[in-house]
Amino acid sequence: MVNIRRKAAFRWWSRKNFWYWFFISTFLLFIRFSKGAFILDAFSTLSRPFWPGTAQREWIVNGINLEQQIRIDLLEKDNQRLREILNLQNSSKENQVSAAVISRRSRDFWQQLELNKGAKDGIQEGDAVLGPGGLLGFIETVTLTTSRVRLLTAPATKLGVWIERSKVHGILTGVGTNRPQLNFLEKTPDAELGDIVSTSPVSTLSPPNLPVGVIQSINHQNLPAPYAFVQLIASPEAIDWVQVQSRNEKR
Amino acid sequence: MKRDKKRALYQFLGLLVPFMTLVSPTWLSISGVGPRWAELWLLPWALEEGPAAGLFGGFCLGIVLDGINLDGSTQLPALIFLGYWWGCLGRKRKYSNKSFILGSLIFSGSFLSGLSIWLQNSFQVNGNFFNIWAFYTLLAGSIVSGLIAPLLCTLSLNIFFKGNFSKVNGEHD
Repeated sequence: MVNIRRKAAFRWWSRKNFWYWFFISTFLLFIRFSKGAFILDAFSTLSRPFWPGTAQREWIVNGINLEQQIRIDLLEKDNQRLREILNLQNSSKENQVSAAVISRRSRDFWQQLELNKGAKDGIQEGDAVLGPGGLLGFIETVTLTTSRVRLLTAPATKLGVWIERSKVHGILTGVGTNRPQLNFLEKTPDAELGDIVSTSPVSTLSPPNLPVGVIQSINHQNLPAPYAFVQLIASPEAIDWVQVQSRNEKR
Repeated sequence: MKRDKKRALYQFLGLLVPFMTLVSPTWLSISGVGPRWAELWLLPWALEEGPAAGLFGGFCLGIVLDGINLDGSTQLPALIFLGYWWGCLGRKRKYSNKSFILGSLIFSGSFLSGLSIWLQNSFQVNGNFFNIWAFYTLLAGSIVSGLIAPLLCTLSLNIFFKGNFSKVNGEHD
C-alpha cells in the first residue's frame, strides 16, 4: 500500500522527459555562467572559412604605411622649422638637384665621380651628394656644367658622424678601401656591430642625419681611441644618378 | 714634312689621355683600376723625341691630369722624371719591335708614378703607411698598363714614328 502511494507520489522522478530537459537546461546554465564557453568555440570552428583573409591585411598594412608616411612628412617639417629657429644646417628635398654620373673612378688612387650638372644649376663646392641609400660624398670642384665629387672612401676625406642609437660622435675618414674608417672620440664608445652611422646633427658642413653606413667591425683595443670600419649604404660603383643637396644659406 | 705632320698628330692624340682617364672603360681594368694612359702616351713620345721633349711632355700631361684628379696628390714629378728617363733610353737604341721591353718599361714607369702617389697619400691618411689597398691599386694599375703596352706602344711607334730612328742612325727595319 505504502509502496503504491510512494510510486504515485514520485512519479515525475522516473520520467524520461524530465531528465532530458533537466540536462539541457543545466548545460545552458553552464554556458551562461562561463560566458559562452562551448558556443564561441563552435562559432570559431564553423566560421573559420569566412574569417577575414589576406586582402584585408594588405589594406591595413597600406593604411599603416600611409599613416607613417604622413607622420614622417609632418615630423620632417616640424624638424626643419625647429632647425631654422636654431640656425642649424637644413636639409629639405626642395633644394636637391638630380645629376647623372658621367665619369666614375671609384677604385683608383683618386676616388671621384664627375656629374653632368655644375654651377649653372646652382651646385656649389661642399654640397652633399646623395645616392639611393645615403650619402656618397661631397662636391670638390665645380665648372660651369660639371662638378667633381670626392667620395667618402677617398683618402683623407673627413666627415663628422654619429651613431644615433647611443649618441656617440666620431670622425669618418676615407682610407681608400670600400669601407671608410670611423675614429671615435671617446675611449670606450658605446658602439656595436650593425649600428647605423649617420651624419652628425651638429655639423655645419654636412646636412644633418643623412644615413651613411653600417658598422662592420670595431677595434676596441686601438689607442688612443678605438676605431671601426663602416660599410657604406650607397654604393658608388653601381649608381648612375645622384642627388646633389644644395645648401640653403648660400642660396 | 710627312714626319712632322705625324708628329703633330701624335701631339694632338695626347688629348686622348685625359679623356681616356675620365672614361676609364670597365672592360679594360683589373677590378676597377684602369691603365695609366699618361705613361702609355709618354713612352713612345719620349723614346723618339729625346729627354728634353720627354720632360716637357711629362710636364704637360702632369698638369692636365692634376687638373682632372682630386686634390691632394700630384703626378707631375713622376711624369717629368719618366719623360726624361725614357728620353735618355731612346737615345741609345731602337725599341719599336721590342714589345717585352716596352711592356716592362711601362710597368716600371707606372709602378714608380703609383709609388709617388702612394707616398703622398700616406702623409694624408695618418697612421697606416703600408695600406694594402694602395699596394693593390698600384699593382693593378701597373699590370694592366704593362699588359696593353706592347700592343699600344708598338702600334703608335710604328704608325707615328716610323723611320725616325733609321734616318738618324742609318738603320733599316
